[in-house]
Amino acid sequence: MTQSPRKHSTAQWIARVAIMTSLALIFSYVESIIPYNPGIPGIKLGIANAVTIIALYTFGSKDAFTVNVIRIILAGLLFNGIFGMLYSLAGSMLSLAGMIILKKTKLFSIIGVSMAGGVLHNLGQLLIAAALIEDIRIFFYFPVLLFSGIAAGIAIGIVATLIMRVAKQAI
Amino acid sequence: MKQYIRKADIILLIILIIIGVASTIFVVQSKSGGDTVIIESNGKLYGKYSLYEHHEITVEAQDKAHSHNVVIIDNGKVFVAESSCQNQVCVQHRAISRTGESIICLPNRLVVRIEGKGGGYDTITS
Repeated sequence: MTQSPRKHSTAQWIARVAIMTSLALIFSYVESIIPYNPGIPGIKLGIANAVTIIALYTFGSKDAFTVNVIRIILAGLLFNGIFGMLYSLAGSMLSLAGMIILKKTKLFSIIGVSMAGGVLHNLGQLLIAAALIEDIRIFFYFPVLLFSGIAAGIAIGIVATLIMRVAKQAI
Repeated sequence: MKQYIRKADIILLIILIIIGVASTIFVVQSKSGGDTVIIESNGKLYGKYSLYEHHEITVEAQDKAHSHNVVIIDNGKVFVAESSCQNQVCVQHRAISRTGESIICLPNRLVVRIEGKGGGYDTITS
């Protein structure tokens, strides 16, 4: 398990980030073609966040941040559009910041960190939506997004735990 | 990885669920009073009323002595309960509740419409 990315050469780092970004991008794509519409925008599983969490736990916050930003910009240009990109960016930056802080406390498991990440992701999106629409009543959405964030976060946390248990030897 | 679920996770989950339940209660109880009902008679503004307060308004047209409409605002919905007009289209119109909807009584030149921000939440659906 690699702790610090700086111990390795830049080329190695770029290759690793590129591989993880493409993996996350594929997850974004898979998610964007799943034909389900819960009726409320913002509710989704966020499979790509599993890659973010694995990157965070395996390689550290710098890698997780880089993978996340590149993935969102590319996914925005390819599938989600510029506004979708803006929402995702706000959500995932808040989410990642929260997850890094919670991980540093060493009190939480991956599932707990992921759960907080899911909730913060939705909160970030809600904040940017409120800023864009200039209507505070959008916070009527908050309970729905909170519960969906908890559910999606736990699911992604379990997935990330299982993947890391298997992939630990390989990485 | 020591354990898959730790005590702090459970505590965080409970806190989040409490926040969720509390905000649900808050949202359900505070049906925001932002929307306003605008009544126009004869092309002129007759009055503005909150959509979330109970009102019973009798609108008398200025030019015709016997023309009147009774507009009732109740529980976030607006409807015309009574009208002196012949066709009664406005009375039969279903109650309106969303921004942008309107009830119009042509014979009495009455317009009842709802204004406000938002308009459902269709604006953010891409």
